[in-house]
Amino acid sequence: MPNPRTFHLSCLVSLVLLAAQSVLAADAAADLESRVSEFALKNGLEVLVYADSSAPVVSTNVYYKVGSYDEALGRTGLSHMLEHMTFKHTDIYKPGDFDRIVDSAGGNNNGFTSTYYTGYYEDFARDRWELALRIEAARMGRCIFPDSEFESEHQVVSEERRLQDNRPMSELWEQFDAVAFLANPQRNPTIGWPDDVRRYTVQAVRDWYAQRYNPANAVLVVAGDVRPADVRAKAEKYFGKLKGTPVARTDCYGSEPKQHGERRITVRKRVRVPQVLVGFHSPGIRDTAEFFAAEVAGSIAGSGRSSRLYRKLVTELQIATSVWGGNSVDRDPGMFQIGVTPKAESLIPHIEQVVQAELDRLGAEPVTERELQQVRNQVLAGEYFQRDDVSDMAYLLARCKILYGDWRTIEAYPAGIQRVTAEQVRDFCRAYLNPDNRITGILLSETK
Amino acid sequence: MTRPFCLLAFAFCLLPWQAHGLPLYRDSLPNGLIILTYEDHRLPTALVSLVCRSGAACDPEAKAGTAAMAAELLTRGTATMSGDSVTSLVEFLGGSFHGSATGDFMELGTQVLSKDMPTALDLLADATLHPAFAPKELELARSRFLSGAQRIKDSPQQQVDQEFIRLVYQGLPYGHPNYGDTLSIPLIRREDLVSFHSTYVKPNNSFIVAVGDANRADLVAAIQSRFGAWGPSPVPVPQSLTPAYPDRIKVKLITHTDMNQTYVEFGHPGITARDSDMLATRLMSYILGGSPMSSRLGITVREEGGLAYDVRCWFDRNALPGAYHATVQTAKPREAIEKMLRDIRVMHDSGATRAEVEKARNFYTGSFPLTYSSSDGKKSQVITDELFGYGLDWLEKFPDRVRAVTLEQVNAAARDHISPGHYIMVILGPVTKDDLGLQGVEWIE
Repeated sequence: MPNPRTFHLSCLVSLVLLAAQSVLAADAAADLESRVSEFALKNGLEVLVYADSSAPVVSTNVYYKVGSYDEALGRTGLSHMLEHMTFKHTDIYKPGDFDRIVDSAGGNNNGFTSTYYTGYYEDFARDRWELALRIEAARMGRCIFPDSEFESEHQVVSEERRLQDNRPMSELWEQFDAVAFLANPQRNPTIGWPDDVRRYTVQAVRDWYAQRYNPANAVLVVAGDVRPADVRAKAEKYFGKLKGTPVARTDCYGSEPKQHGERRITVRKRVRVPQVLVGFHSPGIRDTAEFFAAEVAGSIAGSGRSSRLYRKLVTELQIATSVWGGNSVDRDPGMFQIGVTPKAESLIPHIEQVVQAELDRLGAEPVTERELQQVRNQVLAGEYFQRDDVSDMAYLLARCKILYGDWRTIEAYPAGIQRVTAEQVRDFCRAYLNPDNRITGILLSETK
Repeated sequence: MTRPFCLLAFAFCLLPWQAHGLPLYRDSLPNGLIILTYEDHRLPTALVSLVCRSGAACDPEAKAGTAAMAAELLTRGTATMSGDSVTSLVEFLGGSFHGSATGDFMELGTQVLSKDMPTALDLLADATLHPAFAPKELELARSRFLSGAQRIKDSPQQQVDQEFIRLVYQGLPYGHPNYGDTLSIPLIRREDLVSFHSTYVKPNNSFIVAVGDANRADLVAAIQSRFGAWGPSPVPVPQSLTPAYPDRIKVKLITHTDMNQTYVEFGHPGITARDSDMLATRLMSYILGGSPMSSRLGITVREEGGLAYDVRCWFDRNALPGAYHATVQTAKPREAIEKMLRDIRVMHDSGATRAEVEKARNFYTGSFPLTYSSSDGKKSQVITDELFGYGLDWLEKFPDRVRAVTLEQVNAAARDHISPGHYIMVILGPVTKDDLGLQGVEWIE
C-alpha cells in the first residue's frame, strides 16, 4: 500500500502537471487554428496556408496522392521514376530549368516519394516565393517526356537503386517489409525492386503521369510569411485553369491476412556489426483506440534512453549498444518495431528472449502513471518543436491532409494520446506483441 | 601555445553587444563566459547549448575520440545525479540533452519547452561543473563508440570519407575520426576524460548560445547565478599546421567485389574558415559542384552522363585548414572520374563566367534567410559566427559581403585553392586498377 502522504503528494503533482499540460495543449491548438486557412479550387485542388511571419521565408509544397502503395507488381518504383522525370521538361521549361531557376533565386527544392504520396517543395525568401507556384503548376499540368531524355534519368535512378543495394541496413529493411506484409503494398520498396527498375519504359512514365498528376489528386500547402488572401489569388492564377479529374485510389487497409506463427529472415552482408529487428503487426489509424494505445506502448518500450528496453538491454544487462523503436503506422495497419544493435552476434538469442520478456511484461501489468505522463509530455513538446520550421510544418499539414483527410489530425493526436489508459496499453500489448504475430529480421556478417 | 584570458577584459563584464536589427545579443560574465541570446518568442520552446572551443583536434595522441566521449559523459551523470536520473528527468519533460564533438568544438545541447528552462540550465551547469565520469557510464559509452566505429566500416561512404581524411591530414589534428576508431577507443581512460575536461572546459574557452523563448536579461542573470563562480584558466590551443599537398595524384583502392557500385572521393588540403578567400572559394565551389543537378559537375556527370545519383564538391569550413572534397558514387567510375577531373581542371585554368558568379551570388543571398529560419538553424549560425570570429553583424551583412565578391576573386580562388594533379583519391568498389584507367598516378598500398 502506498504511503498516504506520498500518494497524495504524487496525485497532487499529477493533477498540477495535467492542468499545466491542458493549458499548453489548448494554447497549441488555438495557435494552430489561428494560423491555418483552408480552401479548394473549382478543379479540386485542396489548398492549406500556414501563416508564420517570424522569418522572411516561404515553403511551397505540392503533394500528389500517389506512391508505392498504388503500384502493381512489375511496376514497383514507378512513382519514384516519375518523380525524377518531372524535373526534366515541360512545354515551357527545358531540362534543368527548374533547378536553375530555384538555385538562381537562392531557393531549396527537391522531390521525394513515399508509400502514400509523392511530394515536391520549394523554399524561398518571401519576396520570390511566387516562382514556386509557377514551377509547380508547370509540373502538375505541362510535363512532357521525350524519348531522348528518358535513358539518362533511368540510369540515374538505377544508380540510386544501387546505393540501396550497398547499404546493409537498407537491404535488411527491404526484406523485412517484404516478409512482414504478404498482401498490403507496404511490402514493396518505394524505390522499386531491381528488376522492375530495369524494365521501366518512358511510355509507362507518361501513362502514370496522365493518370495521377492533376489538381483533383493533389494538395498545395504554402507555409511561412504569406497572407492567405494572396495565396488564394495566386493559386487561382497558376492552378485554376488546370483540369481536375478525381482519381479512385485502391484501399488496401484490410488486405493483410492474419499471421499465424513467427516469420524470420536472415540477411548476410559484409558487416561487422549485426542488427536485430523485431516487429509485430499493429493496428491502423481507423482502429482508433488501439492505434493510440500502440503509439504509447511503442514510446514506453523503445523510445529514448529511459525506455524499458534501452534500460534493460543496454544499461542493465549490457548486451546491446543501442535500442530504438516504436509504433510505425502511417495509415494502414503497420508494424510495431524494435531495433537492437547487439554487442556480439552470439548474444542475439539472449536479446530476442529479453525483448519478448519485456513486451510480455507490458502485456501483463499496467504501465505506471509516470510512464504515461512522460509520453504525454513528449508528444506535447514535440507538437511545439515541429512547428519551429515552416518547412516541417508544411510537411506535417500535407501529410495529415493526404493520409487522414483533415489537417486537424495534428490537434487530435495529442488528445488521443492523452486519453490512453494503462489498461489499454496492457490490452494492446497482450493482443498484439506475441510470438505468433512476430517477424524477426537479423543482419549478420557474411563470413559467419 | 595557450589561449590567454585577460583579467582586464573582466572589467567589461556584462558589456553587451547587439546585432543591429536582430534580437541577437552578446554578453559576457566576469569569468570570460560569453552568452549569446537570440530572442524568438513565437513558440514556448528554447534551445540552449554550452560550446567549448576545443574539440577532437585536441584529442591526445593515439586517443582519438576523447573529446567526443568526454562530451557524451558530461551528459551522463554528475556528483549528485546518476546518468539514468539525468536522462529520466530530461525525457520526462519531453526534452533532450546531448553531448557531441566536431574537430573544432564540443557542445552540450538541450532543447526544452521554455517553462522548463530553469531545469535545463540547472542540468547544463551541473553537467559542466560537476561531471561524475562514472566508470559504469564510461564502459557503456565505450561500447557505444566501439559499435559506432565498427559500423562506419559497414558503410561504404563513411569508410571512404574516413580514409580520405586520414590520408589528407597524415597525423595532423583533423586526421583522426572525431569519434575515434577501434584502436583508439579502448585506450581512452577515465583520467583522459577528467584531464580533457579540466584542461579545456573553462569559461574563458566557452560560450553559451540560447535561442528561443528566453528574455536576454533574465537569461544572463540565470546563467550568472549558475556559472558565475566557475573559475577561468589558460587553455592550450592546437597547433595550426597545414597539411602538405600530395606531389601527384595518389590513389588508395579498396576492392570489394560484392558491390555493384563504386564510391570515389578525392581532393586535397583546403583553407581555414577565417581565410579572406573563403567566401570567394565557396562561390567557386558552388558553381563547380554545389548541386548534383545544376552545378558543372552535376550537369556533366548526372544530368547529361546519367552516371550517378549524386556528385558534388565542397571546401570544409574549420578553424584550422580544412579539406577540399569531390565525391561520386557510380557504376561507371572510369567515366565519372574522367569527367570530374576534367571539369575541375577547366575551372582551375579558365575560371567561371560572369553569369555563373551572378547565379552563385543570387543563390547565397537568396538562400541565406533559409539557413537561419528555424531555431536550430539560428543556433548553428550563431555558433559558427562566434567560433570563427565573424562578428555579431555577420548575419545581417552576409548578403552585402556576397554581393561584393567579384568574378576575379572567384577565379583567383579557383587558381589558388584548387590544385589539379595533386589529389588524394580513395576508391572503394568492385573495380581493379586496370578498370579505372588512371595514368601517372601513385597507388597507395
